[in-house]
Amino acid sequence: MDRAFASKFAKMMFLTISGLFILMFIGSRFFTHIDMALYGYMVGTFVFIAGFFYRFIAWAERPPAKLILTKGLKLLLRRSTPQTTAEHLVTYQFIWHRGWYRWTQHVLLGWGCILSALVTFPLVFGWMYFTMDENGYYTVVGFGLDLMKIQADGILAFLFFNALNITAFMVIGGVCMALYRRLKDMQARAEQSFVYDFLPLYLLLFISLTGLLLTFNNIFLHGFGHPVVTVIHQWSVIITLIYLPFGKLAHIPFRPMSVLARNYREHYGEQAMKACKVCGTGFVSEEQSKDVIAVLKQNDIEFQMKEGFHLAELCLPCRRKYRMSRFAGVATHQVKVKEANQNAKG
Amino acid sequence: MKQYLYIEMDNCIGCRSCLAACTQCGGHDQRNRNYVYDVNPLVDRQTIPLMCLHCVNPACARSCPAQAIQITAEGAVLSALVEKCIGCQNCTIACPYGIPKFDEAQNLMYKCDLCYDRTKEGIPPMCASVCPTNTLQWVTEDELSMKKEQHRLGKWMSSREPFDPLEGETNVKISLPGILQGKQKLF
Repeated sequence: MDRAFASKFAKMMFLTISGLFILMFIGSRFFTHIDMALYGYMVGTFVFIAGFFYRFIAWAERPPAKLILTKGLKLLLRRSTPQTTAEHLVTYQFIWHRGWYRWTQHVLLGWGCILSALVTFPLVFGWMYFTMDENGYYTVVGFGLDLMKIQADGILAFLFFNALNITAFMVIGGVCMALYRRLKDMQARAEQSFVYDFLPLYLLLFISLTGLLLTFNNIFLHGFGHPVVTVIHQWSVIITLIYLPFGKLAHIPFRPMSVLARNYREHYGEQAMKACKVCGTGFVSEEQSKDVIAVLKQNDIEFQMKEGFHLAELCLPCRRKYRMSRFAGVATHQVKVKEANQNAKG
Repeated sequence: MKQYLYIEMDNCIGCRSCLAACTQCGGHDQRNRNYVYDVNPLVDRQTIPLMCLHCVNPACARSCPAQAIQITAEGAVLSALVEKCIGCQNCTIACPYGIPKFDEAQNLMYKCDLCYDRTKEGIPPMCASVCPTNTLQWVTEDELSMKKEQHRLGKWMSSREPFDPLEGETNVKISLPGILQGKQKLF
């Protein structure tokens, strides 16, 4: 099977596009309900997929990424996976611990974008559309199945048809919070650059504003300018999609790696802990210590000491004390005294 | 003009001002990212500060599966990018000096970033700007070469031979304590 394709990239592209095509065929009732107004988004998505695979495969070839990816995928069926996934990808619990402001900003941005995608892409691929059999009632068709009937002027219909307006406001709120933080936070100001940190925010802002402008044109201008704005909006979404795997937004598709990493740590931590070669305390899983040594070796980094251990086999305090011994010639790491207070709060 | 953090280990009196100052750097969130160690705790009071030495070929960044640890043009090895760090802790295992710290709740590694908001403007990092004994210094290339000259070029610096106190080249320069030099040193 592998020999049928010139490269991993070609294989993944072929399988994904074919899969998507089949799903479109089934989902749109044999191509009878493709919305041609959204055709540009479809082409944009195909280009995005190509870019994503290109970036992802290049990145996954790096030794440390490859290790966590292959080992993590094998452990995907751990019992803790659903909870870890929810905490990392749904509720962003770890960001909450970085502060309520960042959490709020991220929920608005993250869920604003995810919900928008969940509305947009089913529409683009014909997986979701609305028909009106009975006057005053819309039938929601999902994947070719009649899912439910909703009153055309009811609350559900309002939420359905304004979903992208609501998410646009969420994204705008999130972008504003993020921009404010980037202007005020000293560390952010030191490290940020326009293309990496600001450009994605401006792109999201532009998408949201032009999206809202469509609604504005419809309601207040009786559709004036709609054909132009819709192309501008479409263009901005496609540009962002194509750019997504290459800039800061790449953390969206890559974030599930944190679930793999957590599984990897938990699983091998339960198997066997590595005992520090100096003090004997378990500080990391044996597997990870071994993996890191292997990864460093692939990078031509060898921390094998003449005392007979690799530095990745020492716990962190012992590693620091060992460095003292290299500085001063006194075997600090052998002195059985707890490290002195390292906490600046006294 | 490139400037270096320079550690004159002999001078350290263990006051831990550098730890306290570190907590006050922008983005450090009131937590220090450096260490002060007793050299021979049951015998004498000699201490040595230990912070990220900003390796030229940093093991932490090489072992990071997410490419979360960036290296600036000035050679500072930055703390993990929050959006990229996946919390695997490879960096803490890989670092030969045991520097990176990990926050379990935030699922995030944090380490000395050489106070990048300051040093990129040529302002000394927090630790060096408060050190009362000149253990931590922020020196220009000229000053560094003068110091090297004083130390008879390389012999007592972090050069490979005869003593090899570091694992590879670093952007933070050190001067070993006088014990090794076999003579009294005045600062």
